[in-house]
Amino acid sequence: MNSPMLDIVDIRKSYRIGPTEVNVLNGINLSVKRGELLSIIGPSGSGKSTLMHMLGLLEKPDSGTYHIDGTKVVYDDDRVLSTLRNRKIGFVFQQYHLLPKLTAQENVGVPLTYRGISMAEIKKKSMEFLTKVDIQHRADHRPNEMSGGQQQRVAIARALVGSPAIILADEPTGALDVKTGVEIMELFQRLNREEGITIVIITHNPELALQCGRAVKIIDGMIYSA
Amino acid sequence: MNLFKINFHEAFRSLWSSKQRSLLALIGIVIGIGSVIAMVSIGTIVQQESIRQFKDMGIDVVTIRKSFSEGRQSEFNADLIMKLPEDKRRILEVAPYVTSGTEYYRGRAKMSMEQMGVTSSFFSLNKLNIRQGRILSELDKNRYFCVVGTELADFLRQNGTSRILGSRIVSDDRAYTIVGVLTPSAEGGLRPYGINRAMLVPLSTAIRSFQNADINTIMARVDSTVPTAQIKTDIQDYFQKKARGTQVEITSAEELIERMKKQMQMFSLLLGAIGSIALIVGGIGVMNVMLISVTERRSEIGLRRALGAQQGDIQSQFLIESVILCLAGGVIGIVLGIGISYLFATISKWEFVMSYSSIVLGFGVSTLVGAFCGFYPARTAARLDPIKALRS
Repeated sequence: MNSPMLDIVDIRKSYRIGPTEVNVLNGINLSVKRGELLSIIGPSGSGKSTLMHMLGLLEKPDSGTYHIDGTKVVYDDDRVLSTLRNRKIGFVFQQYHLLPKLTAQENVGVPLTYRGISMAEIKKKSMEFLTKVDIQHRADHRPNEMSGGQQQRVAIARALVGSPAIILADEPTGALDVKTGVEIMELFQRLNREEGITIVIITHNPELALQCGRAVKIIDGMIYSA
Repeated sequence: MNLFKINFHEAFRSLWSSKQRSLLALIGIVIGIGSVIAMVSIGTIVQQESIRQFKDMGIDVVTIRKSFSEGRQSEFNADLIMKLPEDKRRILEVAPYVTSGTEYYRGRAKMSMEQMGVTSSFFSLNKLNIRQGRILSELDKNRYFCVVGTELADFLRQNGTSRILGSRIVSDDRAYTIVGVLTPSAEGGLRPYGINRAMLVPLSTAIRSFQNADINTIMARVDSTVPTAQIKTDIQDYFQKKARGTQVEITSAEELIERMKKQMQMFSLLLGAIGSIALIVGGIGVMNVMLISVTERRSEIGLRRALGAQQGDIQSQFLIESVILCLAGGVIGIVLGIGISYLFATISKWEFVMSYSSIVLGFGVSTLVGAFCGFYPARTAARLDPIKALRS
């Protein structure tokens, strides 16, 4: 249990845009301990989105190794990778990305539908996690019937429902007003403190970074401790 | 299994939310499946019908129609016709008849009745059975007796005649005493139409009393071991010689069934062509709807991938949707197809038979079309780059 939750070593990624090759990640080394609340800050174009996708197993690096919860990530099998994503990663997006036609409870249950458990079990678990983020009274509402803050809570419940190794939050307060943003950050802090959930928050907002246990900077595809 | 159920649920929801588009896509499938079902179903009906013809009448019956006559009408008369079996040994039995439709009134009630002049051989040749009384015999010659069809008997009963046998039917100022009632029998094929609504009187009586009492049609039982062509030569030869160049047209049961099959083949070909074109057009429509659906839901696909959906999960989600869409079209098409075949059977006066195999076929074909046309859009969806899909 002393191994880090995330461990990436010398990850590199470049894109070819027209004739030029753009190096987005230039040998990233990053280790996230279990139960840590880490923020990665960087200006736009620094490669933080690519890093986020890399951590979330949506992007394959050109070179380097990635261990998550002690498992070395192998990229060549979609099924293995998807399963790993489903079990180990919980995403929270800036734009919430809730499915508009599903209720809050159904949205929370989506990750579990890929695990082959019963409908009843999914419903029960979804409700349990809605309660955990204090949004259970909106269980039967659709996203367009909820405020941004409420939608983000639902999205956080969805990230938590599969008991992942880590929550990856990409600008989670970016679309919210200040007060609601603070509430969401408090929720992350509470989850981290009380439940010991490992959380990585990616943001360009240095104030947010101050509220996390540790912050690192990403500039031009390289990690610096803040 | 659970994922399948959820996908099913999702597919319904997604199709329902774009009802108009889904419905338009269905039209092609409906017409396609409808045509295919009608084709198979009519095939079954015709097959049943020909089997029934054989069973009912046997394969040894032919009908002879006068097509052209140089001589006087009197030469194509009953006596000459009745002697045909004596002259040509391969003709076993003949039954010339006359028939004319008329309106029969009983008080205010009205019924369209068929007046027929027949010989006793007509009953055996047509395999007509008696429910009450007796059939007509040679001894009834020139007498005003009649046998009534089952519908006519019902009509009389409903309009005040309690005892059918012995009561009278008045037609053209002549009264015919009823001596027998027939059991119901299927009409069409070689058997003349209207037997169930008919008043059958002795041929000799009919020739004397009916207006338009020319013999135009003869039924004959022939030796079934002899090829039809030889039978035809025999008959043509006989009338050529004895009735001064009277030409006749001969239809055998075989030919009738052959004609029926040709008719069906033409219809099947037409329906088959319409059906396949409609299915192709419908399939393209479904593919189009699915491609639009995939494009519209790119971000949903990206999200689902981020939440752990495998390519196969996404693919099956869209495949199920496409199959459900086609199955819905299939169900409507099956109803339409059975409707068409029912109409066709009714118009052709054939017995309608429900073809269960065509229903199974309908479900099968629509599932196949759904899977086939959904495959490409579903694969496109599954292969989307999750990151690009999420951003859209």
